[in-house]
Amino acid sequence: MSEDRITKYAEAVLAVASAESGGLEVEDELFRFARAVEGSDDLRRTLSDSKIPAARRQQIVEDLIGGQATPATTAVISMIVAAGRGGDIQRIADEVVALGAASRAKAVAEVYSVIELTEDQQVRLASSLQSATGKEVEIKVIIDESVMGGLLVQIEDEVIDGTVRTRLKQLREAF
Amino acid sequence: MKKRIFVASILGALLLTFGMAGSASAAGASAEECILTEWLEEKGYLGGDHSGDHADGHDGDHAALHDEELLKDIKKKCKEAPSYIMPELKEVIWGGGAFLVLLGLMMWKGFPAVKRIMNERSEKIASDLDQADQAKSDAQAVKTQYEAELADAKSEASRIIDEARQQAESLRSDLQERAESDIADMRSQAAADLEAARERAMSDLQAEVADIVVGAAERVVEANLDAEAQTRLIENYIDQVGSD
Repeated sequence: MSEDRITKYAEAVLAVASAESGGLEVEDELFRFARAVEGSDDLRRTLSDSKIPAARRQQIVEDLIGGQATPATTAVISMIVAAGRGGDIQRIADEVVALGAASRAKAVAEVYSVIELTEDQQVRLASSLQSATGKEVEIKVIIDESVMGGLLVQIEDEVIDGTVRTRLKQLREAF
Repeated sequence: MKKRIFVASILGALLLTFGMAGSASAAGASAEECILTEWLEEKGYLGGDHSGDHADGHDGDHAALHDEELLKDIKKKCKEAPSYIMPELKEVIWGGGAFLVLLGLMMWKGFPAVKRIMNERSEKIASDLDQADQAKSDAQAVKTQYEAELADAKSEASRIIDEARQQAESLRSDLQERAESDIADMRSQAAADLEAARERAMSDLQAEVADIVVGAAERVVEANLDAEAQTRLIENYIDQVGSD
């Protein structure tokens, strides 16, 4: 799908989210769902398979996040999947997050971690990243077992890597 | 030449004339022989009349006188015999005439023929000498040319030998240089291969050691990365980013 169409879907999602009281929560839940789809090939193929009826794909979305996400988030994801754009849900989610942060004059900081960060940790990390980069950031935590430990933060094109995986890689290269 | 031929002809004619005259006079006997011959003839001992010998001897004195006069006559007669040196006049006339005729014939036909023959002979000899000189010159030219060609051939042979020697030396030098270069290349290649093999071995060894060490480290890290350790790592990261 073209970037222009991705942007239009993202703007539509943001419009729905802003109409709801928890717009920021919709962005966050959409972002997490997109990361989950990214980590599961079966789920990505299922949601993007045009041979599966749209109602069936919507039902799968309802079953996955119906009890855990807000109704607005569930409705947005169901709408995207029903429109046959399940394969592009990662790009749409990234665009939604980027446009939402930009509307709030913030940058998105994608934080890769083995475990979930607490609210306090996210606040202090945002503060530290603002001190380091000079930008106000919104923390988007992505659970990634491959980092083994520590954090990897990507803000736009800038990467701050403090993971155990990278340390071990550096140790291997040192030999 | 002409004067010499003329003098020779004169001498030849004189010898011919007096020789013939001499031969004619020599046909007679010597004085003693003449006297003896005449005496014997007068006495009749040589055939003919022997009247003198058959004197009856009546008159011995008269016979002796007769013999003495006869001997005088015989001696006188024999003294008047032809000279051995001076020919008779008729012989001189005939001999001189023959000489003149012969001399005329010689002057008319003989001398020109001899002169012509001599001239032809001289010309032929001169021509032969010229031809001989020409042949000698030609032979000398051929010899000179042959010597020059021989010298050229020797020079060419020497040049070819030198060139062949130089080429052989150049070829030997090239082959030696090539062999040395090949040997150097082979040595360099062998050293490079050895170094590459050593580096590969070292790299493999390092990689293997790294795998062992890092694998061990990963196992240790994984075994020790519990929730508390993860939290501590996150806190350290937040603190480190904030302090930069």
